[in-house]
Amino acid sequence: MSLAAAPHPILDPVFAPPFPQAALPVLRNPQLRKNVAHAIDVIQSKRAKLVAEKTDWQQLRSAASGIRAHALENLSFYLEQFEARCTAAGGSVHWASDASEARHIILDLLRRENASEVIKIKTMTSAEIQLNPFLEAAGIRAHETDLAEIILQLGDQEPSHIVVPALHINRSQVREIFARRLGLKDLSDDPHALTAAARTYLRQKFLTIPTAISGANFLIAETGSVAVVESEGNGRMCLTLPRTMITLAGIEKVLPRFQDLEVMLQLLARSATGERMSPYTSLWTGVTPGDGPQSFHVVLLDNGRSSILAKPRERQTLKCIRCAACMNTCPVYRQTGGHAYGSVYPGPIGAILTPQLMQLQHAQSLPYASSLCGACYEVCPVKINIPEVLIDLRAQVTDRERRSFARFFDPMYLGMRIANILFSAAWLFHAAQFFGRIGLRFFTRKDGWIHSLPFLGAKWTQTRDLRGLPSQPFHAWWAARAKEAK
Amino acid sequence: MSTSPQSREQILSRTRAATSSVAQAPDHLADAYAALPRNYIRRGQLASQARIQLMIERLREYDAEVVESTPQALPAAIASQLALSGRHAFVAPEGLPVEWLAAGFDWKIDRGLSTAEIELAQGVLTAASCGIAESGTIVLHHSADEGRRVLTLLPDWHLCILRASQIVETLPEYFSRSQLPPALATWISGPSATADIEMTRIKGVHGPRFLHIIVVHDEFSIQPGLTSPLG
Repeated sequence: MSLAAAPHPILDPVFAPPFPQAALPVLRNPQLRKNVAHAIDVIQSKRAKLVAEKTDWQQLRSAASGIRAHALENLSFYLEQFEARCTAAGGSVHWASDASEARHIILDLLRRENASEVIKIKTMTSAEIQLNPFLEAAGIRAHETDLAEIILQLGDQEPSHIVVPALHINRSQVREIFARRLGLKDLSDDPHALTAAARTYLRQKFLTIPTAISGANFLIAETGSVAVVESEGNGRMCLTLPRTMITLAGIEKVLPRFQDLEVMLQLLARSATGERMSPYTSLWTGVTPGDGPQSFHVVLLDNGRSSILAKPRERQTLKCIRCAACMNTCPVYRQTGGHAYGSVYPGPIGAILTPQLMQLQHAQSLPYASSLCGACYEVCPVKINIPEVLIDLRAQVTDRERRSFARFFDPMYLGMRIANILFSAAWLFHAAQFFGRIGLRFFTRKDGWIHSLPFLGAKWTQTRDLRGLPSQPFHAWWAARAKEAK
Repeated sequence: MSTSPQSREQILSRTRAATSSVAQAPDHLADAYAALPRNYIRRGQLASQARIQLMIERLREYDAEVVESTPQALPAAIASQLALSGRHAFVAPEGLPVEWLAAGFDWKIDRGLSTAEIELAQGVLTAASCGIAESGTIVLHHSADEGRRVLTLLPDWHLCILRASQIVETLPEYFSRSQLPPALATWISGPSATADIEMTRIKGVHGPRFLHIIVVHDEFSIQPGLTSPLG
């Protein structure tokens, strides 16, 4: 088939190296770490201030959590309601089981419009289905219009954050990209000048390209409306000027009623960017005669979501409203940035969402990319208990691996099987302690610690010391004490 | 047709099966929804004057220009804002009161103006549906006096008339005022902005760079509520 085989991006979980390996280049790049830490510090301090001023923050979180859980528990009802209301308002609703089907639906719609170019509002869902390279291969140029997305697109880079996707790039790097790709040799690295350059670059595209693609922050079942939250106005341009609009949205994005926005909009901007509200929130319903695109399509994407929905504990993953507060607060993300996660969804939410979207066939290292400190749960505006899901996924990964034949001689699983036998009877355990004490005596220093072990043991002692076995085990001490007491 | 009916059925049946143990029966759904916890603040505490002052303060934090006026002095206040802007070519929605269209300026009334014509305008004058004080948000429902969405998007300068009686303190109060959900709505919280480069806030990317508000003190008149959202 002619449309297949676009080169895979680095954020494709199918091809990405395991997290510890993918994190290394970042950990060795001080500039990148500085860029990430700076951006996160700014968002975090703004967020903290604005969350503190909401005296009902916890009540808002509880309400949001309740609404999102209710919507997911009754998802088929609300999806059908959304479809009916959106269709009644002049929209067309399409259903895509997986990424490939979504890509083909969108391509068909664009071909019917004879489109050679399309303007896009930032949508992580389109990155999830790798839409841009696919359209490119089919001869349709997709123009990103969010400033951060332009920086990435022109710089041939990938997003490292779901709200501020170019936070790993600093102003002089942006200047270099714009100078090279837009032919602006005399551009300064002042963010004002860089932003103005992007405005000029895009204005003509907004006014002339008649097809647009967006994501959705929320789908409203009650009305069939779509809501998009943004800052720059590029979203409003894409939603208003073209004659055809295609919205790609995960099936989990649905809210029961219009009024639910009163909770979500109070939480979203504060959590995401540390603002009371984002500069622009747009809501539209199907097609409005005389105002905006006269042809409107929604593509509802499953792509693994319904299988997440089936699991009671994992279901909460789908409550996510993509605010990125979890990655901003995560001590691991702060050190590694987003690319280490090998997915367009990085950070704690990515660590639980990506492996599940991959049905645990890929990205098995991600549930371990966490210290389980729980900061993500504390900030989550819809109360997703990310550590709980992380632990559950770790158990699933382990269960899968220990049963796989290829892992039979894996030292960890071999060790676990041996431990299983040793712990099954007291005499075996005592014997193991006895021989262990003799075996380890040679490596134990005077301070009682083992600083270096050979072979497999080195994997432990390379990064931390191991306490030597005590000369008298607890059970022996206990037995001796009992005897003395008599 | 690009959608296969099988995918629709497949997704819905998978979704149904996934939630079979927790989904409500359709006739209990509304009750279950009504029982969801909503213990957050749904009514503001501020008196009328304080509420309006908070709105003005929050708008100014966004670098929006705010002036106050009375219903009688409004046409003069509009004329003075237009003059101060140094601009002359303006667009306006069809449903605007005629007395707002100050003499001496070049007005194009939107009776199906082309995008190119709107792009040429230097500014736009509109009414609004609601103001939310806590977040300094202006809500447009794009009715006859607020204009099509494109009208308040392309011109670089937006003068918006907000009546004091339209200002609520909190977001939930806006929603409880909106009896009928609007088909179109734009919540504007300050001029367009970005912080994508090193988190430095830059005002004005694609939307209007200059947002001017005239708050009209009509609070002693009868509260008219929101303009009809569906037009």
